[in-house]
Amino acid sequence: MKQRKVIVSLWLLVIFVFVGPSIGKAADVLHMYTALDPNEAKVYIEAFIKDTKINVEWVRMSAGEVLTRLKAESKNPQVSVWYGGPSVEFIAGRKEGLLIPYKSPVGAPFLKGNLKDPEDYWTGFYFGAIGFANNTNFFEKNKLAFPTSWQDLLKPEFKANVSLAYPYTSGTSYTVLATLVQLMGEDKAFDYWKKLEPNIHHYNTSGSACVTQAGLGEIAVGIAFSHDILAKGTSKGYPIKGSFPSEGTGYEIGGMALVKGGPELELGKKFIDWSLSKRAQELMKVWFRIPLNPQAEVAAGATKASDVKLINYDDEWAGNNNKRLIEKWRQIIGK
Amino acid sequence: MTKSKRFVAYLKRIPSDIRKLLKEPFLLVGIILVNLFLFLFIVLPLFKIFQLSFEENGHFSLGIFPELLSKNYNVQPLIHSLTLGIAVSILGTLIGFIFAYAITRVDIPWKRFFNIMATFPIIAPPFMMSLSAILLFGKQGFISKMILRDMIQFRIYGFYGLLMVETLTYFSTAYLTLYGVLQAIDPALEDAALDLGASKGKVFRSITLPLATPGIASAILLVFSQSLADFGNPMILAGNYTILATQAYLTIVGMYNMKGGAALAILLLIPSLIAFCLQKYWVSRKSYVTVTGKPSSARIKLDQPLTKYSIFGLCLLLTGIIFLFYGMIFFGSFVKLWGANHTLTMDNYKHVFTVGWEFIKDTLLLSSIATPIAGILGMIIAFLVVRKSFPGKRVMEMVSLLTFAVPGTVVGIGYILAFNQPPLVLTGTAAIIILLFIFRDIAVGVQTGIAELQQIDPSIEEASTDLGADSTITFRRITLPLITPAFYSGLAFTFVKCMTAISAVIFVVSGKWNLITIAILGSVENSDLSQAAAFSIVIIVFILLALWLIQFLVNQLGRGRKLKFEKAEALQSI
Amino acid sequence: MNEAYLEIRNLTKEFVSEYQEEQVVAVKDFNLQIQKGEFVTLLGPSGCGKTTTLRLIGGFENPTRGDLFLDRVRINDIPANKRDTCMVFQSYALFPHMNIYENVAYGLQLRKLPKGEIKEKVEKILTLVGLTGMSHRPVGQLSGGQQQRVALARAMVNEPKVLLFDEPLSNLDAKLRIRMRIFIRKIQQEFNITSVYVTHDQEEAMTLSDRIVVMNQGEIEQVGTPEEIYARPKTRFVADFIGKQTNFLTGEVVEKDGGKVKVNVWGKTMTFHGYDGFHKGDQIILVVRPEMIDLSPHEGTFEGKVDLVTYLGSEVIYEVASNDQLFTVQISNPLKHGLYHKGSKVFINLDLKSIYLIKE
Repeated sequence: MKQRKVIVSLWLLVIFVFVGPSIGKAADVLHMYTALDPNEAKVYIEAFIKDTKINVEWVRMSAGEVLTRLKAESKNPQVSVWYGGPSVEFIAGRKEGLLIPYKSPVGAPFLKGNLKDPEDYWTGFYFGAIGFANNTNFFEKNKLAFPTSWQDLLKPEFKANVSLAYPYTSGTSYTVLATLVQLMGEDKAFDYWKKLEPNIHHYNTSGSACVTQAGLGEIAVGIAFSHDILAKGTSKGYPIKGSFPSEGTGYEIGGMALVKGGPELELGKKFIDWSLSKRAQELMKVWFRIPLNPQAEVAAGATKASDVKLINYDDEWAGNNNKRLIEKWRQIIGK
Repeated sequence: MTKSKRFVAYLKRIPSDIRKLLKEPFLLVGIILVNLFLFLFIVLPLFKIFQLSFEENGHFSLGIFPELLSKNYNVQPLIHSLTLGIAVSILGTLIGFIFAYAITRVDIPWKRFFNIMATFPIIAPPFMMSLSAILLFGKQGFISKMILRDMIQFRIYGFYGLLMVETLTYFSTAYLTLYGVLQAIDPALEDAALDLGASKGKVFRSITLPLATPGIASAILLVFSQSLADFGNPMILAGNYTILATQAYLTIVGMYNMKGGAALAILLLIPSLIAFCLQKYWVSRKSYVTVTGKPSSARIKLDQPLTKYSIFGLCLLLTGIIFLFYGMIFFGSFVKLWGANHTLTMDNYKHVFTVGWEFIKDTLLLSSIATPIAGILGMIIAFLVVRKSFPGKRVMEMVSLLTFAVPGTVVGIGYILAFNQPPLVLTGTAAIIILLFIFRDIAVGVQTGIAELQQIDPSIEEASTDLGADSTITFRRITLPLITPAFYSGLAFTFVKCMTAISAVIFVVSGKWNLITIAILGSVENSDLSQAAAFSIVIIVFILLALWLIQFLVNQLGRGRKLKFEKAEALQSI
Repeated sequence: MNEAYLEIRNLTKEFVSEYQEEQVVAVKDFNLQIQKGEFVTLLGPSGCGKTTTLRLIGGFENPTRGDLFLDRVRINDIPANKRDTCMVFQSYALFPHMNIYENVAYGLQLRKLPKGEIKEKVEKILTLVGLTGMSHRPVGQLSGGQQQRVALARAMVNEPKVLLFDEPLSNLDAKLRIRMRIFIRKIQQEFNITSVYVTHDQEEAMTLSDRIVVMNQGEIEQVGTPEEIYARPKTRFVADFIGKQTNFLTGEVVEKDGGKVKVNVWGKTMTFHGYDGFHKGDQIILVVRPEMIDLSPHEGTFEGKVDLVTYLGSEVIYEVASNDQLFTVQISNPLKHGLYHKGSKVFINLDLKSIYLIKE
């Protein structure tokens, strides 16, 4: 008798598990993928939930992984919003037909030029420049100066002491690649990277991981976005100081977009609108991101566009050449 | 009878087998359902991988392989995986042999303790060792910084680090295999050698070692497969020493190159399958001992002081290393910010139980659902294989054991290929994770079930029939109670495997369902080592709780049998 | 003539083994009629088909050809659990996770008898087999003999129409075996249960059976009472299988006169009575059991030399070489006649009344 009950309840459980997911949960749930650091995304998303009473379920992956996941799910999209990550990735996403356009009324006044997709397929909401995260202890101990140029990174002192992410999983790293190509010309850029290889300790999947690794002293220099350097390095208490290449550095316009065929597009629109509001944009102070909404306050110490030399970064070109450049990188570097 | 005649005779039996089946409709339906499940959830995903790799413009083509192998970034990982696998298997088997020999042949104290320590890695998440390696030997490591004061720079990222952690993780498999083999050698053989004048050393060299050789070969092949399939450790510690499992993952997840990823999966699958077939169909047949045999007399143990103490010391050393690694994680979980702020705190556990609560809940729920289903299904298959006869039985048995041979990465890729389009769209649901759990672990239940059923005297079930019971009643009142203790053993092991799974499930987690193991990987990638440590400890605690619970249930059956992790259960790759 | 209670007609069983190279015919054209209350033993060497036949009766195998009738009903299509037969297994097959009571009550419980009735029946049978007061003991703690009795009780308590025994005593030591077989026979006679018993031990068969079926390679060699089988074996196989070390002589019929035949063996002529079916010139076999030979130091039919002496106290066994053949001779009460030594010259005398003739 007891066995029978166990078996029956097991079967009920099985049915529940299989059928359950199809039973819609509470109507107001927004599903999204985000490329922002999970500790950071938590802050913004919880604020959104509090402000709008809309529930959010989210998964964090690097931008390149989001792109792949959306491609894999294109026949049956699981999310409505892609939140965060450099515009190049969104451009690639638009090319693959994974996004739908949305022009946010909140952003209309200040999103001009390259701050959003010309046809509104993606909407920018922050700016960040590529820089170097330096472990001050290492430099002190070895009596070295921080690297202030791309060429500096090639110095033998940095052997196996530099780290960044794979350009194909991380938007950060792809931005670095695209920057170098646009700065030096394609062939010279790959030459440079080949020369850089012996100095690279290893590649991560996530762009900002190298900041913490530098903070821990596992490496001396991480190449990442300035806001990650400040948020995950310096302000967390690690001995990290940022520096920037004098030849010129690349940058990202961080974007967000609606996923084509997503299950809750109306809620997605609400989210995008909310993210562009002064309130939401100011939240980004915790992570030192530069907001695009001119009314929002900027965190003290954050690296603004005017603080560094930026190259003329053509993200449209970078986005369109994403596949080709990555394949070439894999061929030449062999990883 | 030539092969063809035998096949014809086999075919002739089919109609009568089917007629008998039709008389028991429940049985027939059961067989059909089981085969359907096995086909859908084991064969289909694998088939999809093959289909994707070998299809070019609609027809069969091996073109993908020259293309793959021309790229350095695919050949390197292949060579690395194989090299690492061979190194780990040899080293791991050596360590396993030392423990096994010490416990079965040498008169040392604390045997039970060493037995537990040698088996412990089986229930721990496999990539804990990598985490610990960083905590110990990383630039901020406990040993590198605190003890050695930065005098030695350890190169833990890469081959040597992986060699160390994988050896420490998988030597337990070798230990269990070799323990069984050494234990089963009839003591009379070694006594006879002594009697004829051989020294203890000669006995070892000329009797023990040769008889144990098939077991050693087995152990090497098994550990090799496990190393090949390892995903968690390389994700953390590989550095530039790329290996196949992680490359396949990155190719798919980072580049959406499904075809490339699938082809890499096949490259990964081939050596694993070869190793599995060698082990199961060649080496184990050459065994000179029956693993279940009981020795006919008590075994004299080596007790010369020199041998005794040096082996004891060796075991202590190895045990100390294991303790050190796991202990480091325990300690690390209480550290505020590893590498920067070493104050002790409960913050990490707070984080685990607040932010990480979803992960814990999901993992526990999914594991708890999958485990009994896998156990029951495994038992049913075992029962059908051992006690019933129907066409395609051997095939069914082979398919259910297939997952032993296939690395998790391969299965994971197969699942996303097979289930992301109609008619079976399961990506993103709990179902796909549960299915992955079930069909990855079903081989354990099947193997255990078969072994257990074969030990039951068939005339016991015949007696039940003779006294008036039909198949169902016999199964329920006689067979089931007799195999229940083994069933619970299988359950325990399955639960452990579900809780520590990573290489297959990493492909299918979604926003709604997430797993602790993946959270750990993410934390480690983010260098939140203390957080990762806390999560790891929590997993182990839950596993220990579950094992205690299951042992409790087994005791309730009044049979007082202890759960034992038999060789079969150790052979699961991740 | 009573109609048979258990009738077996043309029973044939063929196996197609996966591993052997050919089809095995385990039982070939088996015909037998068993009366109600009879104790019949299937006797033969390993592989002769006796166990297969038993299992066919019990329903654990399905016949390839042939029919089985129990109490005038054809039972071929009745599955094992619905046949009114109960088996005592060689390994006893007691349910290890149940105690004595639960084992014995199992069959009764399946028939949904009221609890009180079950208890009564179980206790009665346990008393009968000498296991009173032990109902709650787990079967794993019992000795071999006790387990045997539980197995017997479990089968008998269901009052089956036929009791089947599959070499139930082979796992017991010699003394216990003798005690148990007496016990089984007594119980069977007391309850008059039709029984089919399988064994390879001829002593067992002889002591227990009303009739013995001697089987060889799937076929019946002879059916008869123990006396018939022993004294009048129909084939050389039966003569050889039954009894201790039977001697065989070959001879030729030189004269026939009604039932009286004269046979020439090694030049000597012997006269036998009662063989109507023989003809002059037939080659025949003489079945000479060891106790049918007498030895004399002075005179006899054949001359020989003692090759081996085995002294057993109540009897002595001699191996005597004569005419290039080795005879096994059993002399009872040897002290009365005196002992021969190895190498002694002796004369063999045959007890012509007991010797049996088989046509070759």
